[in-house]
Amino acid sequence: MDKSILRTIGIIISYVLKIIMIIFLFISIWKLFWIWIFGCILALIVSFVPTILKRNYQITLPLVLEILITIALILHVGGGLLGAYGITHYDTLTHFVSSFLVAFLAFVVIYILDEYWDGLIMDKYALAFLVVITTIAMGVVWEFNEWITDILFGTHEQWGYDDTIKDLFIDMIAGLVMAFIGVAMIKRGSFDELTEDLGEQIDKLIIKSNKDETKK
Amino acid sequence: MNKIKDICRKKCVSFSFILRIVMIISLILAIWRKDYVWVAGTFIGIFISILPSILKRDTKFTLPWVLDFLIALVTILHMGGRLLDFYYTIENYQIVTRFFISILVAFIGLAMIYVLDEHWDGLKMDKYAMGFVTVVFTISIGVFLEFIKFINITGTYYVRSNHVLMLNLSADMVAGIVIAIIGVNLIKSGRFDKITDEFGNQIDKMVIDKLENRNRNKKINKGQ
Repeated sequence: MDKSILRTIGIIISYVLKIIMIIFLFISIWKLFWIWIFGCILALIVSFVPTILKRNYQITLPLVLEILITIALILHVGGGLLGAYGITHYDTLTHFVSSFLVAFLAFVVIYILDEYWDGLIMDKYALAFLVVITTIAMGVVWEFNEWITDILFGTHEQWGYDDTIKDLFIDMIAGLVMAFIGVAMIKRGSFDELTEDLGEQIDKLIIKSNKDETKK
Repeated sequence: MNKIKDICRKKCVSFSFILRIVMIISLILAIWRKDYVWVAGTFIGIFISILPSILKRDTKFTLPWVLDFLIALVTILHMGGRLLDFYYTIENYQIVTRFFISILVAFIGLAMIYVLDEHWDGLKMDKYAMGFVTVVFTISIGVFLEFIKFINITGTYYVRSNHVLMLNLSADMVAGIVIAIIGVNLIKSGRFDKITDEFGNQIDKMVIDKLENRNRNKKINKGQ
């Protein structure tokens, strides 16, 4: 399929997801669910971050990343608002999507550093391994966040030992899935295409390398 | 000066020898208590400890004493926990043991990354990035350890509580950060290079060089 058609489809999906989020906001206002009104507004702001970054700072996030962020937010807000967390394995699904998003983000960051920063040169399989362990570690940090919240505010973010182990296992699976996809994409050269714009912008703003002279 | 070096070397060798005896006693005790996770752990510890001797075919060649010491310390702590029931009678004993296991894991992780960075073309890493990788590596090995406990193939009793799980993972993270800070400072001062130099060269000769040659030959064959 033509790249421009793929991009158009991606943009349409991204807008549809944002419209769903706005519908969720109206439902929460109608039902006066204050926590989800706040949640929807926060999620909408987060889902518009890529647009703000592009307009104000000329940073273009990969469209896949934008869509993944919005799907993760919709699943969480929708789950709470419509009571979908009661559905069997819904929590597992949302956790997987969030972990996959983290893994994707880790892959993008490490790949860009590998391409543009002199401080990191990595074989693609070593990169995949690093993505898996980073995703697991981020999952642990997330569990710390829930644990400390429960201790400080008496909430029930963590559902118990088995559930925490299950969450960590899902983090590992999401990291592995992303690692396999990422390595396949690097081999085909499509991961380079996906991150090229962002890589060059980050290089200009932060890394300030001379890629052509140093790495290629 | 040479005399002093010779005395240090002899003492270091005997110290490592004592530590290895402790490990072997621990292995026997683990088999006696039918704690197979401990059997596997101690066996891996002994294997790591004697690996340089196998590689160099020289029994006097030892690992950095820190590594031998950490392996023996962890073994002793776990022996105390299982044999004298310190896990149940001393508060937070389990967390202390877990912390030192993680210190050992983090040290091995950092040493591995450093050796690969020095000898393998597939990895060149800034020292602070090495620190970060050490932390995430230690945390993820801790998670694997928790998976093993959860599956409980060996039927050994472990406390299955969310609070204990989170405390264990906290110990892993703190240990990873501690070793990352110490390690980065050692790398900066050049002392980490001295610790891993000889071992790294052996790994380079035995594994990395062979793998790189094999890949090179594959590429040449494909080209033909």
